[in-house]
Amino acid sequence: MTISDGWLHDLGMELRRRGVPGGTADHVVAEAATHLRDSGEPPMAAFGPAAAYAAVVSDSVGDAWRRARRPVPGSVRLRARGITKRYRRREVLTGVDLTVYAGQVAAVVGANGCGKSTFLRICAGLISPDKGTVQVDGSIGYCPQDGGTIEFLRPEEHFVLVGGGRDWPRERSRAMGRAAAATLDWDPSTPELSRHLSGGTRQKLNLIMAGLGDPDVLLLDEPYQGFDRGTYVDFWQQVWRWRDNGRAVVVVTHMLTQFDLVDTVLDLSGADQGRRSQ
Amino acid sequence: MTKLGVVADMTLREMLRRRGVLILLLALPLAFYAVRRNGNSGESIRALFLGLCWAISAAALFSSAAGRAVEPRLRLSGYRSHHLYLGRLAALLVLGTGIAVPLLALVAVDPAQNAVSLGGVALAMLLCVTVAAPFGLLIAALVPRELEGTLVLLVIVGIQMVVDPAGAGAKLMPFWSSREIATYAVDHTGPGYLDRGLVHGAAFTVALALLVAVLSTYRLRTRSHMRFASGR
Repeated sequence: MTISDGWLHDLGMELRRRGVPGGTADHVVAEAATHLRDSGEPPMAAFGPAAAYAAVVSDSVGDAWRRARRPVPGSVRLRARGITKRYRRREVLTGVDLTVYAGQVAAVVGANGCGKSTFLRICAGLISPDKGTVQVDGSIGYCPQDGGTIEFLRPEEHFVLVGGGRDWPRERSRAMGRAAAATLDWDPSTPELSRHLSGGTRQKLNLIMAGLGDPDVLLLDEPYQGFDRGTYVDFWQQVWRWRDNGRAVVVVTHMLTQFDLVDTVLDLSGADQGRRSQ
Repeated sequence: MTKLGVVADMTLREMLRRRGVLILLLALPLAFYAVRRNGNSGESIRALFLGLCWAISAAALFSSAAGRAVEPRLRLSGYRSHHLYLGRLAALLVLGTGIAVPLLALVAVDPAQNAVSLGGVALAMLLCVTVAAPFGLLIAALVPRELEGTLVLLVIVGIQMVVDPAGAGAKLMPFWSSREIATYAVDHTGPGYLDRGLVHGAAFTVALALLVAVLSTYRLRTRSHMRFASGR
């Protein structure tokens, strides 16, 4: 394999990882191969790193594709109304509203300490608000920011534990967990305990636990902390898969560049808290 | 039953992998026993029981604290609160029995204890385990932070050690039953000590387990602001 062949292979893999459909990805790779052959330039000089070029292509081609295939939103899956939460004298949430339909992705954004995680925990029913209601149609999967795993259990034992709540046989739980892990490019059949996993791998486990059983509403609290870039891309692919399957997904994030990846944005910063959406 | 079994299984796996903790859980009652072994037989047996109670309570306290962060998401996965606290309690009872068995074997082979009723010792140890496990879970439910919970446990066991066992206040202590049965087993007293110990131990086991159930059910309840349109 020549340097160009290796670079083109990496480009194809990265384009697919970023969700660019196969035909389009093949076309981009073929065009790049033609350019390299005709110009005689080395690929790094002509295009730069394969991953960076794939990112540029994905941004221009992939986003259009993603937007084009967005499903028509279905019924309301999650409706939070007038959520107010006070910690001692400080009001962190004031009359926050959010509606997410089946087949939608919502982002909850805002500065540190503005109540994003608190809002998500209220939506999951883990803590009570001082005022407001949360209406949920279906089952909930929740991925906490950290601490959602058990230190002395192995990854597959986590799957058994979560699957047990859904009355699944153990082997089915393991199989479902392994299949979900494959979408994040991770093999969970390791004897390592959760506490010995890297932070990013532990977050993968956390995310898989939230999605086991295909809950109707997925509440994800900055689930990609510690992810490498490739896994971060895989994560959003998974979010869109959930969306395309009619799930309602809420992602807490502080990364503003992700606005174009979602259908609704709830901004909890400042005085207009809870009123802005796109 | 399957859900309860999965929780018990995973809790037990989690505890059995803490090898250092297991050694310390066994070492604590052994140390109590060794320190008092030169005294009379009753003192060493009572110290052994108290050490066992302390060890199991501490294990329950830390096990419950470790599971606290995960239990809400397990509720969302389909578990009811009783699956979670009963599963953990079942695992602790198995663990406690596993620790008590070698201690019982030690008493059986120790020449200093040749006059002791082994049946009475085994019964007292069983009550130690059945009382201490829910007692540790209760402290964890009331005092969620580990350090504060440990200090509360330390205070209660300390009082238990120094309180006059014949006084009325002693009966309010959770591990009084083991002392009564120890007296029966070592001093070969009449069945009154055995009966009182059994009633006290059984009553505390049930009462503590009920309190744990109430507090766990409350903590893991479906919050009033949640409205579910269909099945979860």
